[in-house]
Amino acid sequence: MLSSMVLLSLASAPAGLFVRRPHRHLGGWALALIPLTLFALLCTQIPAIIDGASIRETYAWVPQMGLDLAFTLDGLSLLFGLIITGIGTLIVLYTSYYMAEDTGRGRFYLYLLIFMGSMLGLVLAGNVITMFVFWELTSVSSYLLIGFKHDYPEVRRGAQQGLLITVGGGLALLVGLIMLGEAAGSYAFVDILAAGETLQAHPFYVPAVLLIFLGAFTKSAQFPFHFWLPNAMQAPTPASAFLHSATMVKAGVYLLARFYPALSGTPLWTYALTAVGAATLLFGSITALRQYDLKALLAYSTISQLGTLTMLVGLGGKYGYQALVATILAHALYKSALFLVAGIVDHETGTRDLRKLGGLRRSMPATAALAILAALSMAGIPIMFGFVAKEILLKATIESALIDPARYAVIAVVVVSAALGVAYSWRLVRGVFFGSPGSGMKPHVHEAPVGMLLGPGIPATFSLAVSLGLLPLAGEFLTPAATTVAGTAVAVDLRLWYGFTLALGLSAVAIGVGAALTRFERQLVAWPSPLPGWLNSDRIYDATINGLLGGATAFTRATQNGRMRVYMLWMLLAFLALVGPAFTLYGLADLPTPSFANLQTYEALAALLIPVGIIAAIRARSRLGAIIAVGVVGAMMALFFVLFGAPDLALTQLVIEVLSTVFLVLVFAVLPARFEELSRKLTRARDAVIATIIGITMAGVTYAAASNRLFPTIADYFKAESLSAGKGANVVNVILVDFRGLDTMGEIMVLFIALLGIYGMLRLGRARRREADGQPARSYVDVPTGIVQDVAPVNRVEA
Amino acid sequence: MTLILSLVVGTLFAGAVYLMLRRSVVKLILGLILLSHGVNLLIFLMGDGLRRGEPAFVDSVTGAVSANAADPLIQALILTAIVISFGLITFIMSLAYRANQAVQSDDLDDMTLTDKL
Repeated sequence: MLSSMVLLSLASAPAGLFVRRPHRHLGGWALALIPLTLFALLCTQIPAIIDGASIRETYAWVPQMGLDLAFTLDGLSLLFGLIITGIGTLIVLYTSYYMAEDTGRGRFYLYLLIFMGSMLGLVLAGNVITMFVFWELTSVSSYLLIGFKHDYPEVRRGAQQGLLITVGGGLALLVGLIMLGEAAGSYAFVDILAAGETLQAHPFYVPAVLLIFLGAFTKSAQFPFHFWLPNAMQAPTPASAFLHSATMVKAGVYLLARFYPALSGTPLWTYALTAVGAATLLFGSITALRQYDLKALLAYSTISQLGTLTMLVGLGGKYGYQALVATILAHALYKSALFLVAGIVDHETGTRDLRKLGGLRRSMPATAALAILAALSMAGIPIMFGFVAKEILLKATIESALIDPARYAVIAVVVVSAALGVAYSWRLVRGVFFGSPGSGMKPHVHEAPVGMLLGPGIPATFSLAVSLGLLPLAGEFLTPAATTVAGTAVAVDLRLWYGFTLALGLSAVAIGVGAALTRFERQLVAWPSPLPGWLNSDRIYDATINGLLGGATAFTRATQNGRMRVYMLWMLLAFLALVGPAFTLYGLADLPTPSFANLQTYEALAALLIPVGIIAAIRARSRLGAIIAVGVVGAMMALFFVLFGAPDLALTQLVIEVLSTVFLVLVFAVLPARFEELSRKLTRARDAVIATIIGITMAGVTYAAASNRLFPTIADYFKAESLSAGKGANVVNVILVDFRGLDTMGEIMVLFIALLGIYGMLRLGRARRREADGQPARSYVDVPTGIVQDVAPVNRVEA
Repeated sequence: MTLILSLVVGTLFAGAVYLMLRRSVVKLILGLILLSHGVNLLIFLMGDGLRRGEPAFVDSVTGAVSANAADPLIQALILTAIVISFGLITFIMSLAYRANQAVQSDDLDDMTLTDKL
């Protein structure tokens, strides 16, 4: 069932392309049925999961490598699955209205549904490799969605940045997952989670955990990798609400929570996650307050919430698990509602800038009501679900097992951030819906259609309804999720009123301070950034990318400067770097001691003539001298062939030698053929050194290869079969024309193509000269006709 | 003898590399010729051991190839290689000829225009 659910959402994605006609919403409603069906299917599993069951499906994928395609449904994946499909349904519906005029709506739906399928696959995956595939698919579909309006450069930048950061982290994650899988001996989550103690004692533990952190931090926009998320707000708002708030950015937290039972408990896990999470929480809250763009404000608020979640995975503990799952649900509800409200505001007024908006509560009362509900939940005001979640969060930090100064620091960060959360929630609501009507809005702003209000309406209502009447139910629903994270049974006990506790007191302090902060809104917004300028990750990212591009350009300029011999030099050096050390380390020891027992003097003399010829060719001062020197080398080659039983080779070599010499004489006669030295002395010395090293390496490699036999020769087969199968006594000839006849045909083709090339080039020269002489030029491209005319000249009738 | 011929391969490669790193087209061609000799000799040494004299012929009396005959396979490969390198070298020679007509130079540094970044 699980695999077919993932398959269904991925396979039905192209159906999105059929939604084309602007201002018609039937297609949108029909498409919403896909996530709705998946949502309903997942809902049917709730009772079984609450009873503690989990569903597993495994298909052999690459059995030879022990790879399976595995899917699992347990408490944690059910929670995420329901958020994905539930909010997915609303997003699909909302998009139809939000992009009503856009003819590219179909394409957007395609990406959106692909994303939904990938995200569903990610949370349902039962082994790390399956999960990784879907992990990368979400990054790619996120790239497509951010870059949807790719006509704008900043949109392209945002999309590219998001992709590079998340996929870069994904690479680290893959390595980490493989290390983990190797250490645990299996890639299935079940086995990895069962091997917790083995893993923590394994030498791979620290590197694997660090790499997995890197993957999770980049995906979940943790400080200092947070900067891609605000830039990803270039995506159309439905995508921002869905991917960059409710689902995809939580994938990193999901992964950490998934591994919690096996990997947690070490100081590395607890302190690294708590520190990074708390830093992200504080940074996100401070920065959110300073934003003017509605979506940027929500993006930084999302970053702060992601920080909370990471911190909670680090803290663990009875209340930590409860706070984690409650915050995930509460945040998914209020943040998607707020994003969709921001979309409505943008859609109806034409701006998202808080300075241009205002007073919308009169013209858009329903939207205002929903926004206020969701913002109250975000601020953690009592009777909202966000309040309940924050209560447990505070309790989790108070009861955490951190050593004392760290614990107080974390409590302080949470309280300060909660106060800031109150302030920016208020800023958002007041800036958009209260005060005097904004100046920069479209005239005649009116309320959004009902279909559009459904998107923020349902989650916003749930933010209130859950805490008013459904808390026991919600607790029961979240219990299996918390149990999955903890690895042991944890009952989620959600209550509006826990009694007069320290958490309640801190919550009250936070709300009070937050309310007081709203009085100083203007001063706070004008406050300088909490980070020094050089620490701006966005700028560091730009510098890195530009540095990479600049470095690549400089490197290309240096290595490929148009001079062929420089290219060759690099290739030779690369060859030396690859072969030289390997040969020195492993090849030298295998060299046999040479024996000169049956050395013939004339052979040695012939061999000596070759270096002499080479040196003569290098030092030649005249064309003829060079040709003769090279000819000597060729002749000695032929001599060796004669001596060592290869008469056919000797014959061929001699024929070719004669032909080459003739050509050399012909060509050198017309070339300027200066023989003075063109290069500087230093260059020549350098080349001589490189050439000598290459020569020594080649001699060594050749000697090592010639005196070691790794495989038996296959020559005996040809010797035995030559007469019977090939009907010829000369084995070499039989190989050429029979056993390896295709090779010979290929060789003939090569010669023919070379001939065509030579012919074309020579004709080109002639055509140019005819042109220069004022005669009609024949096309030099027209080689076949030219050949026919040259071989059998016929009088052409000029038209 | 294997050692001596290996050293010969080394000198052929060294000479070829040195010549091919020169600026003159003529020397490039000479280097290519030496390089193909070097490669051919290298393949020649990779056979079933060097043996003096006997080519791989089926004896008409015994109806079999003498056990001491040279390796025929590498010879077939080298034969192909010789012919192909000849094709290559003539092609390069006519290219040099044409380049000389077009650029009026045999200096490879005068022919870098098309590849500038």
